[in-house]
Order: sequence, then structure tokens, then C-alpha cells
Amino acid sequence: MIGAAFRSEMRKAWKRPATWVTLGLFGLITFADLFDEFREARKDSEDPFFLPEAWSQILGEEVVIGFIFTSVLVILLVAAEFSWRTARQNVIDGLSKSQWYSAKVLLLPLLTALFLGLRVFVGGSVALAGTDLSNGATLFGTAQISALGGMLLTGVGYASLALFAAVAIRSSGPAMAVWFAWFAFGEGLLVGGLGSLFEGLRPILRWAPIMTFNRLRDYVQYDPDALRRAAEWAAQHDRPVPALEALGPAIAGSVLWIAALTLAGWLWFHRRDL
Amino acid sequence: MTSTPDDPIIQTFGLSKRYRKTTAVDEISFRVETGQVFGFLGPNGAGKTTTIGLLLGIIMPTGGRFELFGGSSAADLHAARQRIGATLETPNFYPYLSGRDNLRIVANVKRRDSAEIERVLDLVGLGRRAKQKFKAYSLGMKQRLALAATMLGDPELVILDEPANGLDPEGMREIREIIRGLGERGKTIFLSSHLLSEVERTCTHVAIIQNGKIVRQDSVTDVTAHGVAGLRAPDLEALATAVAQYPAARWARQRGDRVVAELEDGDMAALNEWLGRRGIHVFHLALEARSLEDVFMEATGATRMDEPADGSSSPSGPAEHRLGEVP
Repeated sequence: MIGAAFRSEMRKAWKRPATWVTLGLFGLITFADLFDEFREARKDSEDPFFLPEAWSQILGEEVVIGFIFTSVLVILLVAAEFSWRTARQNVIDGLSKSQWYSAKVLLLPLLTALFLGLRVFVGGSVALAGTDLSNGATLFGTAQISALGGMLLTGVGYASLALFAAVAIRSSGPAMAVWFAWFAFGEGLLVGGLGSLFEGLRPILRWAPIMTFNRLRDYVQYDPDALRRAAEWAAQHDRPVPALEALGPAIAGSVLWIAALTLAGWLWFHRRDL
Repeated sequence: MTSTPDDPIIQTFGLSKRYRKTTAVDEISFRVETGQVFGFLGPNGAGKTTTIGLLLGIIMPTGGRFELFGGSSAADLHAARQRIGATLETPNFYPYLSGRDNLRIVANVKRRDSAEIERVLDLVGLGRRAKQKFKAYSLGMKQRLALAATMLGDPELVILDEPANGLDPEGMREIREIIRGLGERGKTIFLSSHLLSEVERTCTHVAIIQNGKIVRQDSVTDVTAHGVAGLRAPDLEALATAVAQYPAARWARQRGDRVVAELEDGDMAALNEWLGRRGIHVFHLALEARSLEDVFMEATGATRMDEPADGSSSPSGPAEHRLGEVP
């Protein structure tokens, strides 16, 4: 039955204009961002934009934009089910509450992969234009696969926070506002405030959800060549060498937060009337 | 598992739903058997929708319990709901999807094929408009789509909450025909409505709920079996006032060109004599069939409920006279 529910989710998402609007907008922003990188690279030989080196920019800091779009789409797809009362009707039609919720949870990695994939496709296509294919270099290897895995987990983390906001608040606008406030400054304020009040809590507060997910977001963690280049650049420009996070605890922390957020969302959803 | 007549399909035992300060459903117990067209009657806010929500598992009860198809465990209830087609309040669909695509979502959950989608679309007369988006549908079309979704999967129990809401008289008639057709095919129907004439025309059994409590339940034939007195006099207002003051009158009210009243003793001759002594001379006095509205009045002591402007009764409603009231 979860399979049937998930197929329904796919159909709903596919036919929903919001899906194509968010994907289109993200595609345009990504193209503009990476094309700009490509143009700059042609002027500045120190900062090349061709494969495989360009992966550090394609999967760099701006990947977070994709996670924001994913989260916005998750909220739009889930919260609307409460305003249209279709969540209630789905349950009346024969889905159990757990099946309904599980289908939504299954959407999270799918949507994250969709936005991440779009960035990889757009970025890869732009970078390919400047790549010399005759030198036989590996354009996409284990480093990129590992980076995509880590970033997929980061994105699912962001999206699970969005799912929690959507089922707890049940209205798209307010849920987006709460999600964005938490992402942009809420967590920082809370961690900073609590950290200054209780110094002993600081090591724990560093594991707040967004901070935990972001530990997996640094591309150089996955690519030794990119790390070497970043270290060389830092030495040349008298900057600190990038500090690497231990991946194991970051992955475990992210998985735990994703589990906690989806479970909290489930409990919230299950205990309230539809 | 199939149901046979007299098997209770729905049975509630002191079912309750309390919110912080409000009791929406107050220890109600009723029983719906196989093949019944069961009218669940009550004014707006009486607790009809909450009761249905409890049965459908979208509202958690705060007291009592219920059985569907004889089962009451969570697994039983989930399995039982696969045998139910239901709509609650307004038709709830995805506005950006077409009528057909919306039914595909329902059919996917109910594991039905596309041929059945076309069958139910034709049944409710939406076959030609199935490509149109739900948000572009009129209220009548939305109600029909909800009815089509309800019938997908050929459910044994159909639960309809105010299916005639917002429909014009023709739409109401069509919905009534569809419901009647379902009843004739042996489906058990649980029909919630605040439209008395709709329930009277459609249902075999009825329960009246008011302020969250069941105040009357029986077959429609039984609840309307006892007649009421129908009277006419030159001065209808004076007649209504006088009858309302008659000691043996449970209730009395003006209905069209006459006054109807229920008498505790059924003694119309005594009423006639009592009126004569007060100078009111009736020129018509007869035993009339009691309507469901009369039953409702008796059971709840309520004011007149909303009636459809379909010619079945006057929307503005005649003057009402209850015991102890002088109009």
C-alpha cells in the first residue's frame, strides 16, 4: 500500500505547477551562477572551470540553494494537503495515517536528488564546454559520488525539517516562514544565546540540526585533489588551511536528526485530528 | 467477509468526542444494519460530521467505542475502511488536477483500474467534463465528483455527509436518485443531512442528533407512523395561538394554510370542543400523516430547520408555535 501511496505522491508532484516553477527557477539560478563562474574562469586562469576541477564549484557552497528550493517544495506539497483537506480524504479513501506519512517521507530523498541532480546536470554541462576531453582525465569519479552522497544526506536533513514544519503548522506560508527563520537565524540565535548562558552546553549545541547537516556540505572533505588545491591556495593567500570535519560523526548526527525530525513529525501528525 | 441483513455494519457504544470546553459528540449509541439507508439528521453543529469523522478514523474519540463490520481493533477498522466509500463535508480534491486525475489518485489507493473510473464518471454524468480541472468545477460538479469517488471500488457501506449541500433542486433530485439507486443495489448508506425532506424521501431509518446526543432513532416508517391533527379556521393566527395553548398539545405550528398539532391523547373531538368554547370554529379537522419535520420538532423541541427551496416546503417557513409559546 505504501507503494501505491508513493505512486500517488509522484503523480501529484508531477502534475503540480509548483514543482515545475521551483525546478525552473532553481535551474535558471543555477545556470546563471555557474555560467558566471565559467565566464570568470576564462578571464582568470588561476580559477579554472572545467571538469573534474569544476566539481568543487558545482558542488560548493551554493548547493545549499538547491536544499532551500527542495524544502520549499516539500512544504508546498505537504502543507497544501491540509488546507485542501486531501490528507483527510486520502485517509478516508483507505490509506492509514502511517502510509500517508511514509509516502511523504519517501518524497524527501527523491526531491533532494532531483534538485541536486539538476545542479549537477547544469553545472556539468557548463563545465563540459570548457573541458579538454582528449587528455583522458576522469571527469566523474568516486570523490564526486561520495560528495553527492554526503550532500544528499544534507539535503534530506533540510527537507525533513521542512516536512516537520509542514505537518506541524499545516499551512504553506507560515510553515515556510518558520522553516526559513530557523535556517537563516533561529538556530544561530538559539545556539549563540544558550552557548553564552551555559558554556558547558557549547559542545552539544554545535550539533543543532542545521549545523549538523552542514558538516557534510564541504566538498573538499570528499575530494583529496580539491583539498590539496584549497590548501595551496590558502598558503599562497595567507589564509587558514581548511579544517576537515570527521565524516563518521557528521553522518551519524545527520541520520539521527533526520530520524528524530521525521519521527516527531509522525507523532505530531498521528495524534492530531485531520 | 460479507454482511447479511440484520448484521450491524456500524455500531457505536457511548461514543464521545470532547474538545477542551465543548462536547461535540456525547456518548452516542446507534446501530446501522446491512441494506439500510440510514439518515443521520440534525441541525448544523449538532455533531453529525464529528460522528462521521470518528467512524472514518480522522478524529480520535475521547470516550466510548465503535465497531465497523463487527470489528473494533485498529487493524479491523483499517480493513473495514477499505469496504467504505465516504465523503466528509465539502468535496476534498486536488484543485490543480482534473476530475479524472483526482479519481486516479483515489483508484490508486483503492486499487481499482481505469475502466472503473470511467464507469463512475458516467454514472454521475461527469464523463464529458472529466478533463477539466477540479478548481474550475461548479459546486454541483464537485459534489458529483465526490459521489463518483465514493462509489469507486463498489463499497459495501457508503457514508455521505451533506451530499446535497449547495445543489439546485435539479442537482438535489439527481443526487437523490443516485443514492436511491445505491440503496436498491443493496448498499448500506449512512446519509448525514440537515435537510429533513431529503432524508424523509431517501432513507429507511433515521437517527436524530442534537447537541451531540441522539434524541431519537427508528425506521422512518415507525417515526412517522402516528398521525397529527390538521386544522383550518378562518383566522389561522388565532387558531394557531389557541392550539398551542391546548393542554394536550405536545406541539403545534402553522403549516401552509392550516395548523398541525400533535395531541398526547389523540382526541381530536375534545380539541374541537375546547376550541369551540373559545369561540374558534374550525371548518376542517383531520388526521394527517406526520412528516419527519414533525418528528424532529417533537424530539428536539427545536426551531424549524433549513429547508431546500426545491418546492418541497416553503423556505421561509410557516409560523411555529410550541408549547408554552404565544406567537
